[in-house]
Amino acid sequence: MVAVESTARPRAWAVVTGQELRDLWLGGRGLLLSLAFSGLLSALSYLVATNQALNFLEQRESVNLTLQVAIAVGAMLALLGGADAISGERERGSLESLLLTPVSRLELTAGKLLAALSLWIAALVVTIPYVWFLGRGIGIVGDALATGALVGTLLAIFLVSLGVLVSIFAGSNRVSLSVSLFVLLALFAPTQFPTSAQQGWAGDLFLRANPLTAGEHYVGKIVVDGHHWSQDVSWLVSPAIAAALFAVLLQSPVRASCN
Amino acid sequence: MSAAVEARGVRKEYGGLVAVEDLTFAVERGHILGVLGPNGAGKTSAIRVLTTILAPTRGTFAVAGIPSTRPADIRQRIGVLPESAGYPERLTGEEYLRYHARLFGLGKQSARAVAVRLLAEAGLPAGARAPIGTYSRGMRQRLGIARALVNEPQVLFLDEPTMGLDPSGQRQVLTLVRRIARERGATVLLSTHLLAEVEETCSRVLILNRGRVAAEGTVADVSRQAAAPRSARLRVEADSVPKAFRILTAERGIRVVEPTDGQPGTLALTLADKQDSTSMNAALCALAEGGVSVLFFELEGARLSDAFLAMTEAA
Repeated sequence: MVAVESTARPRAWAVVTGQELRDLWLGGRGLLLSLAFSGLLSALSYLVATNQALNFLEQRESVNLTLQVAIAVGAMLALLGGADAISGERERGSLESLLLTPVSRLELTAGKLLAALSLWIAALVVTIPYVWFLGRGIGIVGDALATGALVGTLLAIFLVSLGVLVSIFAGSNRVSLSVSLFVLLALFAPTQFPTSAQQGWAGDLFLRANPLTAGEHYVGKIVVDGHHWSQDVSWLVSPAIAAALFAVLLQSPVRASCN
Repeated sequence: MSAAVEARGVRKEYGGLVAVEDLTFAVERGHILGVLGPNGAGKTSAIRVLTTILAPTRGTFAVAGIPSTRPADIRQRIGVLPESAGYPERLTGEEYLRYHARLFGLGKQSARAVAVRLLAEAGLPAGARAPIGTYSRGMRQRLGIARALVNEPQVLFLDEPTMGLDPSGQRQVLTLVRRIARERGATVLLSTHLLAEVEETCSRVLILNRGRVAAEGTVADVSRQAAAPRSARLRVEADSVPKAFRILTAERGIRVVEPTDGQPGTLALTLADKQDSTSMNAALCALAEGGVSVLFFELEGARLSDAFLAMTEAA
C-alpha cells in the first residue's frame, strides 16, 4: 500500500513550534527547569504544611501562597524561554539560516513564543497535585486551579512577549536574559512594599496597574476570600491589557524587519 | 532584468559606514561567479543584501528574475550558505535538513526523502544519524550546502564555504560546488579567498574593493583589465647561472634580471613591456641556443591572483 502525502503546505508557525518544542523538551532543558520548579514547590508545600512558623496559615492561605509562587515562577520560566528565542539563535549563528527561509518573521516569532509558553503549561500541570494536596477537603481546588490557569496564562503571554521583544533588540543572549530578569524583578518589587504603601487610592492604582501584583491580588480574592470570579474581575484588566499589548507590540519590530 | 542575478547601483550603509557602493553587475543562468575581495571589501554585505537579509540603502536588484521588492519570493528560489553559519548541535543532519525542508513548505514524507538524498549528495550518509555536534568543520560546511539545496534553488549563494577547512576539505567542498552547478544548472555566487580554485571553478569573476566593483568578467578579461606587470622566474643549473645572466641581460625584452635570495640557480625577470609576455619567448630561445638548460619556468602577472593583488593594492 502506498502512503499518500497531503498536498497542503504545512503551517510554518506550527513547524517552528514543533521543532522548538522538540528542542526544548527532548533536549532536556524544559525537563530540567520543570524538575527544579517541582523541587521548589515540594519544599514550599512541605514548609507550609509542617513548619511551626508557617503552619499557622489557614488552609486557603496555604493554597494561595503555593499558587502565587507557582504563577510567579512558572511565568518567569516562560519569560526566560522567550528571552532566549531570538538572541539565542543569533548567538548560535543559526538565525540567518532561519531568516533565509520564506517563513515570515512573524510566523517564526509566533512559533518560538508558543514553544516558550509550554514552560508555563508544564509548570501549571506540575502545580496541580500540590494545590490538590494543600486544598483538599475545603472545596477550592477547582476554583484555585482555574484562577491560577487564567491569571498565569495572561501573565505568561505578557512575559514571553516581553522576553522575545527584549531578545530581538539585545546584543547578546546574556544581555537579553539579564534585562528580562531585571524587568521581572522590578515588577515584583511592589509585593515587598509595606502594607501602608499599598493602601489609599495611589497604592490601589499602583497595584492595579502592575500586571503581576494585580493578577496575584485577583488570585488571593478568589482563593482566600472565596469571592466569585466575576466579583473582582477589574483586577484582571491590567494583566489582560499587558498580554494583548505586548503580543501586539511584538509584531511591530518583527514586521519592520520583514522588508 | 532576465539574468540570474542582476544588481544596479546597490548601496549599503551601516550608520555612516558605506559597506557597498554602486554595486552593478549581472550574471547569466548556469554560471559560477567568483566574488573576490580583501577582508572588509563588502563581499558579505553584498551577499546579505542580494539574499534579502539586509535591505539596500539604495539601488535595485533582481534574483532569479524576481525584483528586490518581493523578498519572500526571492527566498523561495535561492539557497544560501551564510558566512559562519551555526547549527543546532543536538539535531542530527537528517533532522536538520528535514526541518528546513518543512520550512520551505514540503510535507513530512517529501522532507524526509529530500533530506536523505541531499545527505548522500553531500557525502554525509554516515553522519545522517549522528548529532551535528559530532561533525567536523568540513562536514558542517557540506551539511550547510545541503541545507541550501532543500528548495531546489535557482541561485546558490555560498559565502566563504571553504573558510577554516584543510586542503582536503576545501577540495571536497569545491568539487561539490562544481557538481551542483553542472548537474542542477544552478547559478552559483561563490565568495572565497582561494584564487587558484576560483580560476579553476568559476566561469566569471567579480572583484570588490572597498565596497566598489573593481573588475568584472571572465578570468581572462579581469586579468587583462588588471594590466598586472609581467614578470617571470626561471631556474637553471647552478653552474649555468652566469651564462644565463649574460644571455638574458642582452635581450631587449627583458628589463631586469636578478638572482633570487635563498634559491640557487633561480633568476627573477621583469619584462620591459608589462602587457606583452611574448618577449619571453625570445629570451627562452636565446637560452636554448646558448646551451643553457631551463629546469623550471613560470610567467607571473597573467594569473587571477596577480590581477587581484594589482587591483586591490592599487585602490
